Amino acid sequence: MKAIIVYKWARNAADAVVRTDGSIDWRNAKMSAGEDDPAALVVARKVAADSDGALIGLTVGDGDASWALARGVEQAFSVSDALSMADNAATAAVLAAAVRYLGDVDLVIIGDSKENPGVPVALAGDLGWPALMGVHSASMPAGQLQATRRVGEEEQTVSLPTPLVLGISADSDTDQVPGMKELLAARKRPLTKLTLAELGTAPGDLVSIGCRKPDVTRTRVFDGEPAQAAAQLVAALRAEGVL
Amino acid sequence: MSTASWVLVTMESWRGAFAAAQPLGAITAVVVGPRSLADEVADAGPVEVLWLDPADGVPAEAYGSPLAAVISAAGPRVVVATSDPVGRVLLGAASARLRAQLVPRVVGLALDGDTVLIHRAAVSGETIETLAGHGPVAAICDADDVPLQRSGPAPVNRLDLVAAPMVLVASEPIAVATGLEDAERVVSFGRGVRAKEDVALVRGLAEALDAELACSMPIADDLGWLEKSRYVGRSGNHIKPALYLAVGIAGAAQHMEGVRGARVVAAINSDPDARIFQTADYGIVGDLYEVVPALIAEVHK
Repeated sequence: MKAIIVYKWARNAADAVVRTDGSIDWRNAKMSAGEDDPAALVVARKVAADSDGALIGLTVGDGDASWALARGVEQAFSVSDALSMADNAATAAVLAAAVRYLGDVDLVIIGDSKENPGVPVALAGDLGWPALMGVHSASMPAGQLQATRRVGEEEQTVSLPTPLVLGISADSDTDQVPGMKELLAARKRPLTKLTLAELGTAPGDLVSIGCRKPDVTRTRVFDGEPAQAAAQLVAALRAEGVL
Repeated sequence: MSTASWVLVTMESWRGAFAAAQPLGAITAVVVGPRSLADEVADAGPVEVLWLDPADGVPAEAYGSPLAAVISAAGPRVVVATSDPVGRVLLGAASARLRAQLVPRVVGLALDGDTVLIHRAAVSGETIETLAGHGPVAAICDADDVPLQRSGPAPVNRLDLVAAPMVLVASEPIAVATGLEDAERVVSFGRGVRAKEDVALVRGLAEALDAELACSMPIADDLGWLEKSRYVGRSGNHIKPALYLAVGIAGAAQHMEGVRGARVVAAINSDPDARIFQTADYGIVGDLYEVVPALIAEVHK
């Protein structure tokens, strides 16, 4: 089994600034580990260990690519000149080109991101592989890949063919932060930089023609003395008819 | 007849996606699921419903590739799907075949001459960005469910497709605590509660409000302060009370997914920048050890 863990493939929306007119300033938003990336890595390491196979990291853009290397992945590739794009199919095309470049891949594991939920499925589409999203765990008992996910009020276990793309949804936002030993080990692990030209891909993006602020009601926050804030909240909840 | 827009229906909340595609003209609908769902969609006025009923024990995703071939043969300009895992996988396969641009979190679509205007929620929904699509477009639609006019019924034609070898090997019901699922009011707590003996304080608030008690995942999973059937979140309970009162919960996306159906969300947190204040309707910034007793006293007044 040759598995790929895709990580740090999107900008962190929390670091973008939305101006008062609704336009977006992305300048401070770097490629960063998504909230599902740590869970995806845990699943990828489990499947790789079960199958006694190789696990390779793959990332895009300007983020620190050592993230996976410091978390037990032995080698990684970074398409360093790939930009973050609005078109999820274009981002997926870069990842798919890298997967094809690496060759003979059986399994791609990627965080099933809430902000860019089209990338994992477009990646599978581009590769022409089946896919399963919303997965929270996977294993490979007796050489057969199995994944577990929630559908409604049921937990389903599905037996899967390879090659395949698995999208992992984290149950919680915990990350195993590496210690000094792992950080030092990461420096010795090979990180290969690739370019879009080497991959033979030149993705175009959708054109943004404007932004507007959505009509939202902000949280009504009561601060001040606890007794006063409590009285205001109880009054508000009674006015809503929920108390 | 081949239409310019197609809608993939894979879940019960499909009306928002269907309504988003309506400004683009006549619709062909693909329904993956029971016949009753296909009949419902047929009543909304598509030109045709293509109905796929997955074989027993076969996940719907197993039909991604042959379904993509059906859609790409019709050559639509726009394909819209809902954001559930099945809808997205089927859309991803179709999108690649069509060489479409794929945009998630779409809230509306429009035509401007030959250009498809795509309105999408960007930066975690803080702004609505309009993108111009000049070729085929695939949209993952997050629009809210809306009532649709009956128009209809369109013919429902069955699709017979060959599935990829995916097999459902087990299906277990997720444990739900008695009373939590249908509760009118839920008081829930997270790591802001510092010790197990302090759970009694939050329990007291729940009793005062005649509410069920719940918690965030780490409280049940890591600390074991409440039974696992009582945690709310992506992998736990999905509840829709009239009031969800979160005490000392930071508001991670995984947690908030479990209360998406709540009518009013209120939060108590000492951190004014806690994520829960981005989504809650009401909030108190303060120390829960002072605020919770004050709330109990206020309710008893």
